[in-house]
Amino acid sequence: MAGPLLEVRDLRKSFGGIHAVQGLSFGVDEGETLGLIGPNGAGKTTVFNLIMAELKPTGGEIWFRGENITRVPTHERVKRGIARTYQVPQPFGEMSVGANIRVGMAPDDLWKLVTEGADHAAEAEIGRSVGFSDEQIDTLPSELAMGDLRRLEMARNVAVSPALLLLDEVFAGLTLREIAHISELLVEKKRKDGLTYIIVSHDLRALAPLVDRVIVMSFGAAIAQGTFDEVVRDAAVREAYLGQ
Amino acid sequence: MALQILIQGFVLSGLYALIAVGFTMIFSVGRVLNLAYGVYIMLGGYIYYAALQEAGLPVFASFILAILAGVTFGLLTYLLLVRRLEDNPIAVEISTLILAVVMQALIVVIFGAAPKTMWPVIRGVLRFEGISVTMNILLATGVSWIVLGGLTAFVRYTHLGRAIRAVSMDRKGAVISGIEPSFISMVTWAMSGAFGAIAGVFFATFTQLDSHMWVFPLIISVAVVIVGGIGSIVGSLIAAHIIGFVETITTTLIAAELRGVSTMLLIILVLLVRPKGLFGRAEL
Amino acid sequence: MSIDRETKRYLVWWLAFGVLMCLLPLGVGPGTLRILIFAHFLAMFAMSWDFLSGRTGYISFGHPFLIGIGGYTTAILSFRFGVPLYFSIPAAVVATMVGGTLFFLPALRIRGTYFALVTLAFMEILYQLTKVVAPKVTGGTRGISGLESIVTGAVNNYYLSFGIMFAIGVVLWLLIRTRLGVALSAIRMNEEAVRSTGHSTTKLKLFAFMVSAAVSGVGGAFYVHYIGSIAPRGMFEINFLFTILVAALLGGAETIIGPIMGAYFLTVLLEYLRPVMPGMERYLLYGGIALVLYVVRPAGIYSLIADAGRKMQEWRR
Repeated sequence: MAGPLLEVRDLRKSFGGIHAVQGLSFGVDEGETLGLIGPNGAGKTTVFNLIMAELKPTGGEIWFRGENITRVPTHERVKRGIARTYQVPQPFGEMSVGANIRVGMAPDDLWKLVTEGADHAAEAEIGRSVGFSDEQIDTLPSELAMGDLRRLEMARNVAVSPALLLLDEVFAGLTLREIAHISELLVEKKRKDGLTYIIVSHDLRALAPLVDRVIVMSFGAAIAQGTFDEVVRDAAVREAYLGQ
Repeated sequence: MALQILIQGFVLSGLYALIAVGFTMIFSVGRVLNLAYGVYIMLGGYIYYAALQEAGLPVFASFILAILAGVTFGLLTYLLLVRRLEDNPIAVEISTLILAVVMQALIVVIFGAAPKTMWPVIRGVLRFEGISVTMNILLATGVSWIVLGGLTAFVRYTHLGRAIRAVSMDRKGAVISGIEPSFISMVTWAMSGAFGAIAGVFFATFTQLDSHMWVFPLIISVAVVIVGGIGSIVGSLIAAHIIGFVETITTTLIAAELRGVSTMLLIILVLLVRPKGLFGRAEL
Repeated sequence: MSIDRETKRYLVWWLAFGVLMCLLPLGVGPGTLRILIFAHFLAMFAMSWDFLSGRTGYISFGHPFLIGIGGYTTAILSFRFGVPLYFSIPAAVVATMVGGTLFFLPALRIRGTYFALVTLAFMEILYQLTKVVAPKVTGGTRGISGLESIVTGAVNNYYLSFGIMFAIGVVLWLLIRTRLGVALSAIRMNEEAVRSTGHSTTKLKLFAFMVSAAVSGVGGAFYVHYIGSIAPRGMFEINFLFTILVAALLGGAETIIGPIMGAYFLTVLLEYLRPVMPGMERYLLYGGIALVLYVVRPAGIYSLIADAGRKMQEWRR
């Protein structure tokens, strides 16, 4: 396809007097993995919220597959193929893993929701594809470890079969082994389903092998971009991270 | 006409500010809506009545008893109910509503269902340019200003008051700086009960005592919180005046029967247009 | 529609419940039946509340508003304008759903504690308005009495009220077991996450509101024709709201069968206490019970019984 999968043009967002995102522009191509890094408060999560329409931008445009989706509501964006995970996993707390996946699989059509029963086999299949055992399908989120909660979010996202997945701090709070598992999972999903990722992470070591390109944000603006190695050598980036 | 609206509006608004202050405090410190707040008002009125008009105690002693009853009941609400449900504001809302109906039943059981008339706290009528205002309601307005002024001074200039304010602004931060939030909560609930009881005495002399009298003050308090935003004292004072004046204007110029309706419409309007309140701030 | 094994097993229980209740008039007198008729209406209101508030977490403190719209619509149409009941009752249901849409609008912007308060404000407004606006039509403070009844006698009314309640119960229960029910519960747990799984939560919420309003409308309309009168006092009152809430919460919200059990429990308790406690003491008692149960056991009586059942099974093994 010609042109980038997602393109953000001069995106701006302010909360009262605080400019969380100021004039950010970037694109991500189909099949690419883009890393979004920057110090705390740089506006990375705000960018995700804007791409998902969980916040209204103060200015700028968002294009997806050559369509201006700036005014499209969240659930319609999901249907077009964008999904996200949250920094703090947001499971439906009183539902089993299987039911959590079911919510993701459900069509946005009241009649079908009523008449079509749950497809337990498909739920289990999605669960397995992110590494859940069959017994875990019936457990509640409160019994899961952080790594499994991140898997659950992945599963719920896989259920909506997205083209672009926004991953917010996927490695936060995980053990080294869990990080390895999630990384493997991401690579495998990408190979199989041709997913495109934008990954926000503080864990640069975990991020490095995954990304094709990195954008560094500071105070709501992109201060550098390039391959991972180029970016970490950049003086401006060092300054933003470490101060003077 | 204009003068009448002005005087009536101020007097009514003063009463409403007094009614709402205890409710706003709880919301501001604990972020929960105490729907049993109207009960403190009812309790204040009934205890005052029982002490003064049935037991024959002096006015001052009756007042103290009413306040004590409010404090006790405020503390009980917190300790037995709210503290157990504190992380869930909706559960607090439902359970305090049930508590209010239970207390309403208790009042009927003890005092009977028939309404009772209360003597005014002070007698006399003030006439001015053909408009008459009872001394009683003027006293209520005065007490309201004293209470609100006192409260403002309290949260600004005393250690305990500043601690309360700190908890209302940032609970976690307050814990870090060594403030015990559950103690602060108890103090606020006790104060809320006391304010409710004081307001109740005046409200009851203004209308009458009956077992349904908790509903109207509760609605006024809710309206003040919604219109004023999250509990700043000045914000609620202004909100009380908006509500009082809107009501006075509606009842004098349109129809006296629309008394409650204007307040309800105001609530709905503000919630739809500015859900955080007109002066939405998160501190006391 | 596919029906899984578990659903079939529960449907057998529903059927047993239905058969049992249909046989009941053979064994008990009209006095008991009249008590149960009230339980059936209360159950409808409690189920309506539960479907909206128990599922989606949008707590309604204004259900009497919806019930009142249903009741007043059919009362005014049939009594003032001589409209036949087979038209006025459906009209009442439609009117209630329109009222439900009004109810729904605030839910687009606010949730949680504030939403509950707005619904309470709706109820209070209607209470004030029925007293003063067009009293010739609404009957003002005194309301309307002498309404046409649909069937006469305790037995007939028992079957009518049970039939409606049973039908509503089964339909709602089937609904909450579908994926739609799952999606509605997900809204209660995390509305934002539901949106980010590709659902229009507006559509889902609107549906829940409409179903709840329709049930309230049906209940309200049949109720006023059963008791023969309607007045603002008693209808738009916190005590009425209280009874609905307590029935739903006592039985256990989010279950459909819970509110039905709560309604039976509450009405029967209320009735048997009447000789001992003729007045408001009863409210004191069952409000107290409800409060203690709510604080200690938020999931309600149903969960107590379900737990006991589970323990029995384990014990048998």
